[in-house]
Amino acid sequence: MTVSQEPVAETVRLIVDKQLNLSAHGYEFGADDDLWALGMTSLTCMGLMLAIEDTFRIELPEEALKEGTFRTVGTITAAVEAARPTSGTKV
Amino acid sequence: MRKEGVSKTERPTQADVVIVGNGALGLFLADELVERRIGSVVVVGPSDREAGASQAAGAMLGCFGETTTESLRTDASRTRFELGVAAHDRWPDVLDRLEGYSRTGSPLMVTPETHVVLNSIGADLDTVNFSAMIEALDEYGKPWEEIDPREIPGFRPRLDTRALRAVHLPAEGAVDARGVLAALDARLRATGAIMVDQTVRTLVRNDGEITGVELDDGHVIEAGTVVVAVGARSEALVRTALDDLDMVPSFPGLGFAMLARRTGGEPFRSVVRTPNRGFACGLHVVPGPGDLEYYGATNRLVDHVSSVTWMADVRFLAQYSMQQLDERVASHEVTRWLAGNRPVTLDGFPLIGWLPLAGLYLLTGTYRDGFHCAPLLAEHVANELQGKPGTIDPMFKPTRRPIETRTIEWSINEYVEHNLAGWFETGAEAAPQMTTAQIADYYRVMATKFYDTMGIDYALGPDILWYAQGSLLGARRVARYFHRLAGGNGSQPAGTATGEARR
Ligand SMILES: Cc1cc2nc3c(=O)[nH]c(=O)nc-3n(C[C@H](O)[C@H](O)[C@H](O)COP(=O)(O)OP(=O)(O)OC[C@H]3O[C@@H](n4cnc5c(N)ncnc54)[C@H](O)[C@@H]3O)c2cc1C
Repeated sequence: MTVSQEPVAETVRLIVDKQLNLSAHGYEFGADDDLWALGMTSLTCMGLMLAIEDTFRIELPEEALKEGTFRTVGTITAAVEAARPTSGTKV
Repeated sequence: MRKEGVSKTERPTQADVVIVGNGALGLFLADELVERRIGSVVVVGPSDREAGASQAAGAMLGCFGETTTESLRTDASRTRFELGVAAHDRWPDVLDRLEGYSRTGSPLMVTPETHVVLNSIGADLDTVNFSAMIEALDEYGKPWEEIDPREIPGFRPRLDTRALRAVHLPAEGAVDARGVLAALDARLRATGAIMVDQTVRTLVRNDGEITGVELDDGHVIEAGTVVVAVGARSEALVRTALDDLDMVPSFPGLGFAMLARRTGGEPFRSVVRTPNRGFACGLHVVPGPGDLEYYGATNRLVDHVSSVTWMADVRFLAQYSMQQLDERVASHEVTRWLAGNRPVTLDGFPLIGWLPLAGLYLLTGTYRDGFHCAPLLAEHVANELQGKPGTIDPMFKPTRRPIETRTIEWSINEYVEHNLAGWFETGAEAAPQMTTAQIADYYRVMATKFYDTMGIDYALGPDILWYAQGSLLGARRVARYFHRLAGGNGSQPAGTATGEARR
């Protein structure tokens, strides 16, 4: 996945979709939908965390490693933005 | 710089050896060094030993009582097991040396014997570990006899969790951990070691060598040799001088135990314990000192060292002690809650040896039996510090690749077994039509998915797997460590030499 051209939120959305296999099962989800309610488990959350960090080449701060961070595409995007060295700008 | 006339309450500015950590490993090492007159020895550590493992330990001198099916399955585990066997022989001398410094009013050895009971509540894991223990006793020619569980003094479980079998180990006992630490402390003060009641903030280095330690208040003690023995906090302290060191990661194994005064019924006179079970060290009671009894212990791998106690752990220990050991425990008076952090490594083996910074030595990773092994390890480390050959296998060096003792398939099976043991011991209930095989399947699927998600091919022990699948921080540490290793210089995994899984 290339990060460079897409806004963070769109990339996060793609990763979430891949990790949780949502659209393949016919789910539509928006930036504010609760991923835990859409079937995310602690194990899929773990995969999501690793994929997010790998894709954006970031290390989320320890305080961010909790359920709430991974609740929605929006919350994940905010965490990524905050953890990126050049926060807000594209890589 | 002032070298002489340092009173024992003052803070020294220089020493030949600084030992950071005043747990069993630090103190036994200091005693050995003082005995060998290697020069000035300073031990730094807070006197309350908050969150330390040694102050919370049951201090069973157990090796055969601790046996599991894993203990002798690979060469590496056997080498580890034999450390315990050898450590056992050191204790009579140790106690001779320490008894005169003890102020507890009771013997430091609280009992010379153990009974291991097999009840039906711990699931199949208990049964296979019980058999493994008997095989190991026979293989090493150690004394044991099967006895009627009803003949064990003090042992009065509820009928529904009564033991079906019991083995008496006449030569495997326990010491009073807190009494031994206090006696060691007193002996060290009397023999000239300097005990500093503080915490080390950072190690101090100058290029490629260690030059000393800096205390929390900024005071520096210079030393040519520094030994890090701060238990579950060791990795973090080492990283203050070697932040990018690839060493086997370690995790705190938070454990809870209680000291309680018996108010009635027949007291226990021996250690009475189940086999090692469900991620932990089995349920046990250690008699003494005096009219106290020690009930232990839980084990939960956690992100950070702390002394918090979970309500669930209090319930676990109280309820199962009443059910499985003695009904009368219900009216025991708890005199002390003990919480301590076992130093647990990713591969389950200790971390002992020189680090890649001249003068810096690491002594930790002893997990469940570090109290018992401490005198033996002290001899080894003292030799190494003096430039003499060590007395134990060099396989435990901290910069090794993680030792391999199992396949992924084996790891998943073990994880399932441990969870089933936990399931039944805690009285979890499933719908009546759900079979044990279905519960096992659930755990199997979890473990399989875990390996798929992590993308690692190193097979973890059940405790590490349990922790990493429940902690984002834990999972990340494990995943990143292996990914870094894979991208590294590609040297062979340690298992090819010493730990190869035999199936
Ligand atoms: C509940 C429980 C039961 C156990 N039962 C047994 C048993 O029956 N038999 C057995 O053999 N083993 C048992 N163990 C395991 C055993 O306690 C450990 O393997 C062993 O005690 C580890 O000793 P240590 O000296 O390495 O670490 P610790 O005992 O943890 O000592 C480390 C010390 O370093 C101090 N410290 C920490 N940070 C710093 C710093 N920055 N500067 C200075 N000092 C610092 C701490 O205060 C602590 O006192 C048990 C452990 C627990 C938790």
